[in-house]
Amino acid sequence: LPPQVSVINTVDTSHEDMIHDAQMDYYGTRLATCSSDRSVKIFDVRNGGQILIADLRGHEGPVWQVAWAHPMYGNILASCSYDRKVIVWKEENGTWEKTYEYTGHDSSVNSVCWAPHDYGLILACGSSDGAISLLSYTGDGQWEVKKISNAHTIGCNAVSWAPAVVPGSLIEQPSGQKPNYIKRFASGGCDNLVKIWKEEDGQWKEEQKLEAHSDWVRDVAWAPSIGLPTSTIASCSQDGRVFIWTCDDASGNSWSPKLLHKFNDVVWHVSWSITANILAVSGGDNKVTLWKESVDGLWACISDVNKGQGGVSAITEGQQNEQ
Amino acid sequence: MKLKEIERTAAQAWSPANNHPIYLATGTSAQQLDASFSTNATLEIFEVDFRDPSLDLKQKGTLPASNRFHKLIWGNFGNGSPESSGVIIGGGDNGVLTMYSVHRILASKSEPVIGQTEKHSGPVRALDFNPFQSNLLASGANDSEIFIWDLNNFSVPMTPGAKSQPHEDISVVSWNRQVQHILSSAHPSGKAVVWDLRKNEPIIKVSDHSNRMHCSGMAWHPEVATQLVLSSEDDRLPVIQIWDLRFATSPLSQLEGHTRGVLSVSWCQADPELLLSSAKDNRILCWNPNMGEVVYELPIRSQWCFDVQWCPRNPSVFSAATFDGWINIYSVMGGNLEAQQKTQADKISSSFNNLDPFGTGQILPPLQVPEQVAQTTLIPPLKKPPKWIRRPVGVSFAFGGKLITFGLTKAPGQQMQQTYPHQVFISQVTTETEFLLRSRELQMALQSGNLLDYCQGKIQTAKLPFDENLWNFLKVNLEQESRSKLLKLLGYSKEDLQKKITSCLSNGIPDKQPLPEANETNAAQPDQLLINSSDAVAAVSSSAFFDNLIPQNISTLEIPVTEDTDGLISQALLLGNFESAVELCMQAERFADAIILAIAGGENLLRETQKHYFAKQKTKLSVLLSSIVQQKWQDIVCTCNLQSWKEALAILLTYSKHEDYTQLCDMLGARLESEGDAGLSNDACLCYISSGNVERLVECWVKNHETSSPLALQDLIEKVMVLNRSIEMLQGTAGPAPGPVLAERITQYASLLASQGCLAAAMDYLPRSSKELLIEQLRDRLFHAQGANVGDQQPPPFPYTRVNVGVIKHTSPAAKGGSAPEGAASKTGPRHPEKPNYQSSFAPSAPSQPSVPSLFTPQPVPAMSMTPHHVTPPQASTGPQTGVYSRGSPYPQYNLGLVPAAISGQAVSQSQPFGPSGVRPVGPAPFPSQPSLPGQSMPMTSSGVPPPGPTVFTPASVPSSQLPAACPLPVASQSPLGFSSAPFNCPMNMGYPQGGPGAPSTKPLPAASIPPPPTAAQESWTDPSAIRGGLQKKKKTRRKLEDALQRLECLYEKLREQALSPAILMGLHEIARCVEARNYQQGLLVHTQVVSSSSFSEVSGFMPILKVLMTIAGKLNV
Repeated sequence: LPPQVSVINTVDTSHEDMIHDAQMDYYGTRLATCSSDRSVKIFDVRNGGQILIADLRGHEGPVWQVAWAHPMYGNILASCSYDRKVIVWKEENGTWEKTYEYTGHDSSVNSVCWAPHDYGLILACGSSDGAISLLSYTGDGQWEVKKISNAHTIGCNAVSWAPAVVPGSLIEQPSGQKPNYIKRFASGGCDNLVKIWKEEDGQWKEEQKLEAHSDWVRDVAWAPSIGLPTSTIASCSQDGRVFIWTCDDASGNSWSPKLLHKFNDVVWHVSWSITANILAVSGGDNKVTLWKESVDGLWACISDVNKGQGGVSAITEGQQNEQ
Repeated sequence: MKLKEIERTAAQAWSPANNHPIYLATGTSAQQLDASFSTNATLEIFEVDFRDPSLDLKQKGTLPASNRFHKLIWGNFGNGSPESSGVIIGGGDNGVLTMYSVHRILASKSEPVIGQTEKHSGPVRALDFNPFQSNLLASGANDSEIFIWDLNNFSVPMTPGAKSQPHEDISVVSWNRQVQHILSSAHPSGKAVVWDLRKNEPIIKVSDHSNRMHCSGMAWHPEVATQLVLSSEDDRLPVIQIWDLRFATSPLSQLEGHTRGVLSVSWCQADPELLLSSAKDNRILCWNPNMGEVVYELPIRSQWCFDVQWCPRNPSVFSAATFDGWINIYSVMGGNLEAQQKTQADKISSSFNNLDPFGTGQILPPLQVPEQVAQTTLIPPLKKPPKWIRRPVGVSFAFGGKLITFGLTKAPGQQMQQTYPHQVFISQVTTETEFLLRSRELQMALQSGNLLDYCQGKIQTAKLPFDENLWNFLKVNLEQESRSKLLKLLGYSKEDLQKKITSCLSNGIPDKQPLPEANETNAAQPDQLLINSSDAVAAVSSSAFFDNLIPQNISTLEIPVTEDTDGLISQALLLGNFESAVELCMQAERFADAIILAIAGGENLLRETQKHYFAKQKTKLSVLLSSIVQQKWQDIVCTCNLQSWKEALAILLTYSKHEDYTQLCDMLGARLESEGDAGLSNDACLCYISSGNVERLVECWVKNHETSSPLALQDLIEKVMVLNRSIEMLQGTAGPAPGPVLAERITQYASLLASQGCLAAAMDYLPRSSKELLIEQLRDRLFHAQGANVGDQQPPPFPYTRVNVGVIKHTSPAAKGGSAPEGAASKTGPRHPEKPNYQSSFAPSAPSQPSVPSLFTPQPVPAMSMTPHHVTPPQASTGPQTGVYSRGSPYPQYNLGLVPAAISGQAVSQSQPFGPSGVRPVGPAPFPSQPSLPGQSMPMTSSGVPPPGPTVFTPASVPSSQLPAACPLPVASQSPLGFSSAPFNCPMNMGYPQGGPGAPSTKPLPAASIPPPPTAAQESWTDPSAIRGGLQKKKKTRRKLEDALQRLECLYEKLREQALSPAILMGLHEIARCVEARNYQQGLLVHTQVVSSSSFSEVSGFMPILKVLMTIAGKLNV
């Protein structure tokens, strides 16, 4: 039986220019979109509806990405823009307002990603100035900034946090004890590298440099933890390649890449399903493909989504063997 | 922002876009000398490695060249072979064109020059590769000389047509980016000529007639075939003209920004809205030619830059070669200059240090290098966001298997003036189709309650014998008389055994009992006969068999008083000294006599005697006998050979008390499990199923089975849910909260369901009582994810500690938030924190019992006060409820509308004869094999207890005993209402381990507080124990009544399942009323009516026994 992908809601955003990102919140009930028209919009999409909740203006350039914070921090949305700013929006009594604006980057901020909620409210931001900023909420409206300069020469295109769950343990930590998380995130940049950063003694250090791409890394996505000791990262590139990086050892030192596929066009986005078993890949060829790892460790395309139609067509042998 | 630098006075060429890594080739510039006046020429290749943050370029190859270079170009020619990196063509003085193999240079191989020609008459300043055919090269030199070269045949060039007049230098040649046979050339005079190679002639000449254009650069539009730009080197007209060949009379527009002549232009192939230019005003500008505006200016000004080139592969990077002898690589994306800028002036000066090329002893005066612009630390990026940074498409997953997609719907290529779609699509992704199918089957089975069929299906489709066995066990757990059926599954059938024994006895070989169960056969036999009989007559006649056994022929009594053993025994007996008599018998090994005497001598003596007997007798069977008689079940479990686990389990099934059964089964399971053998572990699973220990089952299962794949997880969950349901049916409440191992699996399962979009189903699986954090978190997420579908349900507690972000404006935490889900939460009514499970546990189960109202409506208002309390739907939040809670009822989930009057003593006393019996629960059930043992555990045998009156009602028992009337009829669901089915198991030899799983919630209850049946009809029928009170001496009748209890269980089962038609229910109620009125004659009449008007199969299970009961009751006049 083939997998099914069926469109259940078509949201007309009325954005006046290219849409660059669309993200659902934690519960999957609200959709945030952002566009080159400099706006961020929030829709209530529960039960197939599409009610515009907010049209957020504040950026002075194209807004590249939006990211929802965990609901324990309230209704918080971060956005980043070509205008070099990062804005944290917050809903207060039904009204969305800017709660924090970060202007510490010298170039386009291309990616924002909230850390696992367990760490507190921490936002990683990757910029074309090559730096990555880490904005931590310290309480009472205050934010602390840490900056990794020259993380990626010419620019950082994507950041993605490692899940907080210590591999292998789904059992609740003893209450009152704050577990000693090892904080990590991955970044991808115009230096064709995927890098893994690790916090040590409050400082962010480059832990790994993953080389396999031959052109800009467009997106990285650290797979959610499903309780297995393996860490997994997907990366996609201008070179059309999508790699799956895995690391089996707890120290996080030995990462090995596996080529998922070589597409004929730039691959812009990779996104893991919540259960981490499906990878969605979005390419410049206007196609969205879904990939799944088989028992023998091979990645197979399980569906090919045509946007707007939601149809699924079987992948032919030829397409699969393109790589 | 500068990225790399190298000190070279050189022509430059980037490696083609498809080349990785990125290289930059440099060739010593012609017509420029440094202070050494050297005329040597070098061709070098550098790797441009942006992973390295330093400004250095890594030299990867170098080669002395015969000529200095006016122009370098790098093409893909020959790139078919894997080791090739294309060719570099150098245009030199004296018309020399040289072709180098990049691969040979990089590998330092011999003969890197793979072609050379001197066909041109003067310096070759213009070169371009055809973008469609990598073997086609255009070159331009003096005297309007343009050649087209086929690199496969480098010796003979073609010409695009007759030379244009007047003869002049060719500054630039350029192939059209869209149409492969179109070439253009630009001339210092300011005109550009467009050639059509198919026609072999110029097709158009472009000139603005100002005569001030002095073409230094030319470039075709990357996407629009008819557009090109020309740059003017003339300081009087330092402009860039944009021409469209469709309107070739004048330029389309003119980019004016440079203050002195433009030396070079480069059009970005990745974004046509970006055009670089360098000029003699020392500036490097980036234009948006469409808007005519400068979108970027390089903040560093140095010497004239005579050549600027976009990097073909990395679109935000360009290189600039300057007359001061440097090639710099910059990014247009801005950034920070700090700590990166090397002071070029110092370097330049240092290169002249100690330099005295003329040997004059005089040091050269410092070179007048133009001042650099004061460094700003911040360099803004391009004003216009470049196309390559604008993500046109995207995809992201969201909770519940939702996939968000957006982006281009047109095919790439149709770039210009594209209108962008503004839709975002939300799709549901379901990938685990087989899993979903099976999950739905399970759900349907659970909802319909038809689990027996479900199990049967599983048994039939099981692929492994173990799996089949397991399902058999699970199925039996759901059935009546599960213990005996479990025994059958273990290979021990009472019927079969009876046959064997009968044949054995009739053959006159009363020698050996083949099976341990032999001991109980005598006791079991009448039960069996009763069970098998389908009408009361058969039951009576079989009882007569036993009556016949009792009378014995007694001969004349003689009492020996001799001094031998016989005599001594007699004397001891005469004096009532049983102890001594037994001792004597034992000594004489007259064991039978000893035992018989010991029975008469009392319990202690009997126990002692048994002990002595077993100490003396050492046979194969004796250990078994000893354990069974002395009820040392634990010994059996702990010491049995594990290969005999089935027999051990059989013993437990047959003998052990309900409260011990679970524990003993678990012990047996644990022993099997600890062996570490996969087969034994599977057997351990069967033990856990028998004991109903879900958590242990899961723990054991996951040790030997993987559960990470959806179908494997489904396998496990199916078993868990069925087992759980059988426990729920047994106990009437939801089982205990799952332990960590099960919780993890259930969470995993629910997550999986959620990931396939089955949010409601996922929610259903999450155990409501669980306080596991993961489960609470998932429940919260599932609840809100369902949006308005959840209806009026209250949201579960938020399983995280809220953190307020931003400056706190409101002190009240209730005021903050206001998101849609939270808003919904605030709308709902006040919560009952002390019983958070009530709402959620009740409401969801409601849909699964649609027949509840219909079962209620036909129920007549009972005439008798037996059930004065009406069936009241549990919504009403009335006073008495709180009263019930304050009593500390062990069932906080109950929130049913009690009518206070129902608790009155009057009501109870009215129902006295058939009132709920406080002694009912602990029946003979656990000891079917020991009817002759002093049965302390059988309350009704101790004395002729009159039917319990109001005094029996302890306060604790009141609320619960009143509950059933307020409950809808029990249904097979997780609903707390199912609780009411519990008591029916107790008096019966149902085989359910009654103290079993979930014991924590029921154990502390005194037996009397176990709620009675839910309807008036049931209420009456559970009363044979009352009748029994006066009958305990009449074994025959007692057996009948015991059997009746079992039969009634069948009725209760049907009531629980709501399997009875309204007509039968009416009849039952009628009969109940008759019984309450002690009008048994009328009851029997109604009975006959019901039987005659119903289908036999529907009523055969219980109607006969009702008749028997009424008959007995009528005879005894109770």
